[in-house]
Amino acid sequence: MTGVSAELLCELLAHSFVAWRVAGSVQRSGDGAIVIGGNAKNIRIDPAPPDLMFRWMVTVDGRKRVAISLVAVLRQVREALDPGYATSRLRLAVAALVPS
Amino acid sequence: MGPNVISVSVLTGFLGSGKTTILGHLLREPEFSRTAVIINEFGEIGLDHELVETSEDSFIELKTGCLCCKVRTDLARTLQDLLQRRDRGSCPPFDRIVIETSGLADPAPILQTLMTDGGIATRFVLGSIVTTVDSMIGVGTLGREKISQKQVAVADRIVLTKVDLAGAAEPALLRRLAELNAGAPVLYAEHGRVKSQALFDTGLYDPRTKSLDVNSWLADDVHKPAHHDTEIEAYAIVRTDPIPAVVLTLFLEALAEHCGADLLRLKGIVHIAESPERPAVIHGVQHVFHAPIWLERWPSDERRSRIIFITRRIPRRWVEVLLDAIAAEVAQVSEPL
Repeated sequence: MTGVSAELLCELLAHSFVAWRVAGSVQRSGDGAIVIGGNAKNIRIDPAPPDLMFRWMVTVDGRKRVAISLVAVLRQVREALDPGYATSRLRLAVAALVPS
Repeated sequence: MGPNVISVSVLTGFLGSGKTTILGHLLREPEFSRTAVIINEFGEIGLDHELVETSEDSFIELKTGCLCCKVRTDLARTLQDLLQRRDRGSCPPFDRIVIETSGLADPAPILQTLMTDGGIATRFVLGSIVTTVDSMIGVGTLGREKISQKQVAVADRIVLTKVDLAGAAEPALLRRLAELNAGAPVLYAEHGRVKSQALFDTGLYDPRTKSLDVNSWLADDVHKPAHHDTEIEAYAIVRTDPIPAVVLTLFLEALAEHCGADLLRLKGIVHIAESPERPAVIHGVQHVFHAPIWLERWPSDERRSRIIFITRRIPRRWVEVLLDAIAAEVAQVSEPL
């Protein structure tokens, strides 16, 4: 269980390709996985097995990697589809999530 | 936001669009008497500062290069220097700073400096962004110069200059401005004079009341329909249900990571689930986000979260689905076992 429906994830991925300006296709497979094609890569997204502490399993050309969240899934998919993608993560300060 | 917070507004616009003329006239008005000015010129010899009459002591010219690409640290240092001089009483007191950028400046890095530099972010708050556009040649400039499009896209106010020379603004220019930034009111300058006295007091922080003025900051953008440009688009995301803090954090992280320079500007007020009485004000430029500002109370009866985006080729639907998907995942994680 990931909390995110397959339909919602498919729509998110389809719009992600537009935002990232990459070519790609997304569809659901018969076994419930989401299959992505593009940049000569075969990508498959499954819910992680319940015995793992992670939520997703992302398989790129046969290589499996776990992802702890949807944000991590997006990062892995983009890394596979967009060769020019380099994350520029910069945390400037620790900010409170709620007011103190 | 205490009473010692100083509003820093940015006056930008493409080369020759009339920034210095506008500024010169404004500074002669009594209500601008307590204004310090920073002028950034691109080139070896600065001239604009000669054209603006103001107190020498509260005026600084930054001429080491274009603010946006070379002298961000200089800007931070200059602001700190101005503040120290003010606190010591060695320059006239001022309540507001106006930065006139060079005509070639990308405003985004300047805004980022104001939001994130540790030394200045606690004493200064981003005021409004005013962009001048030449009514005679603006259409051509906006069609040719990407940086001029960006200057218009991030503006809180757009000032059409040289209307006295052009006779009237071309309909094509007005359409183009609406495509790039539907939320920013367009003002007209004749002979360099702008009628509005509230030109620089339209940002989050109102120096007149020394308080946050979220409604005026957001209202224009929220209530106008989105217009579409081939690249730049402005839209608002509204959510009725409160947003959990961790959802907002993940959402902003994903935006910063995947949009980068294509997220020209973001601003909003958010109903955080864990803080129902104290909304968070958020704003960001490109991949840099200011730490949320927690209001003491809601500024009106409107308690929906409203987040405004100005983006380059970032589909609105992607933003909406991203937020919904993150919220769905977090909700599932939060369910009791």
